[in-house]
Amino acid sequence: MTDRLTAYVDGELDADARRAFEAELAADPGLAAQVAAHRTLRTRLSAAYRPVLEEAVPMRLELSARAANDRARSPRAAVWAAMAASLVVGVLAGRFALAPEPPVAVGADLPARTELARALDRQLAAEPGVVRIGLTFRDTQGRYCRTFQSPADRLAGLACRGPERWRVVTATAWSPTAEPEYRTAASATPPEVLAAVDRALAGEALDRRQETAARDAGWR
Amino acid sequence: MDRLEREIVDLLPRLRRLARVLARDVADADDLVQLTVERALLRRGQWRPGTRLHSWMFRIMKNAWIDEARARSRRAAILSPEEEAQHIGSDGAAAMEERLEARAVEDAMARLPEDQRLAVALVLVEGLSYKEAAEVLEVPQGTLTSRLGRGRAALLADLQETTA
Repeated sequence: MTDRLTAYVDGELDADARRAFEAELAADPGLAAQVAAHRTLRTRLSAAYRPVLEEAVPMRLELSARAANDRARSPRAAVWAAMAASLVVGVLAGRFALAPEPPVAVGADLPARTELARALDRQLAAEPGVVRIGLTFRDTQGRYCRTFQSPADRLAGLACRGPERWRVVTATAWSPTAEPEYRTAASATPPEVLAAVDRALAGEALDRRQETAARDAGWR
Repeated sequence: MDRLEREIVDLLPRLRRLARVLARDVADADDLVQLTVERALLRRGQWRPGTRLHSWMFRIMKNAWIDEARARSRRAAILSPEEEAQHIGSDGAAAMEERLEARAVEDAMARLPEDQRLAVALVLVEGLSYKEAAEVLEVPQGTLTSRLGRGRAALLADLQETTA
C-alpha cells in the first residue's frame, strides 16, 4: 500500500491506477490522512530548499560555465572570458569635457584627487562612470591591480595600488569608438594592456564579492 | 558562449540547490557546483542535445560528490552555534521562523544515509520522475523507490514532532 500511496503522491501512477486509488481514498479517511502527511512532507522539503533558487549565483560559477573550455586551452583565457562575460561597456559618444587635470604619468603615483584615482578607489567593474573599471586582480607582489579606460584622459591602462596611492603601470592611447552597439570590455581593452595584465596576474581575477571586499578594505 | 554553456548558466540555481542538499556549507556546495560544471564542459561530447541537461549534470554532480567525499574528510555536517546565530541574525521574526523550519528539515535530511538523501533530493526536492532519478543515480528503478521509501519514512518520523 505504501508503494502505491507514495507513487500516487509523486504523480507516478498511470491514469487508471490513479482513478482506482482516488476511489479508495474517498472511502478511507485513514488513507487520506497518510496522503496528506506525505504531501506535507513534499511541501516542507521544497520550501526548505527553495530560497537557494532565489539567491544570486556567485560570479565564479557563471564564469566557470563560460570559461572552462578556454581555460583548457590557456590558463589566461579564462580571465578574458571573465571580462567579456561580466562587463558590457556602453558606447561612449566621444564628447567629453576635457578635465583640467594633469596628464597621467606612467610609473608615477596618481594624485588622489583625479577622476581616475577616485574611480580606481571606489568604482566596481562595469559600473557607470566617466572612467570604466575592467578587471581587478592581485599581482605577483600581492598588490591589487585594476584595468581602466578613461575617455577623458584618452587612455586605457593598468594601475596597481601602492602603499598610499594608485600607480599607473601601463597606459596606452585609447579612445572610445562610436560603434552603434554595445561591446565587451575585453574587446575594448587594448592588447598592450591585456599583455601587461598577463604578465602581472597571480592566480585568478577577483569576482564581484572579492572586488567589493577589497574596495571596502581600502585595497590593503 | 555556445548553447550548452548558456543552458548550464540557466541551470546554475538548480545545481546549487542540489549541491546544498549534499554539502550544507554554502562554499562547499558552490565548490561542488563549479567542479560539476567544469567536468560537464570537459565531457561535453558525452551530452546528447535533446536529452535532459539537468539529469546529465545531476549525475555528474553525484559522481563528483562521491569522488570528493572519498578524497577528503568531510566537514562537520552540523553548523557551529556561531554560524547558526549568523543565519538567523538580523531577520524579522517571520523570516527567523521560516529559517528555523528550514533548518529542521535540513537537519532531518542530514541524518539520512547518503543514498536515501540523494533519492529524496532528486524526487521530492528536484521533482524528477522515478525513471529520471534512477538514471541520475545509475541504479535500477526498484532500488531508487526503495531508498526513497526508507528516506521518506525516516523523515516523516523525524519531522513529526517539529511540524510547524
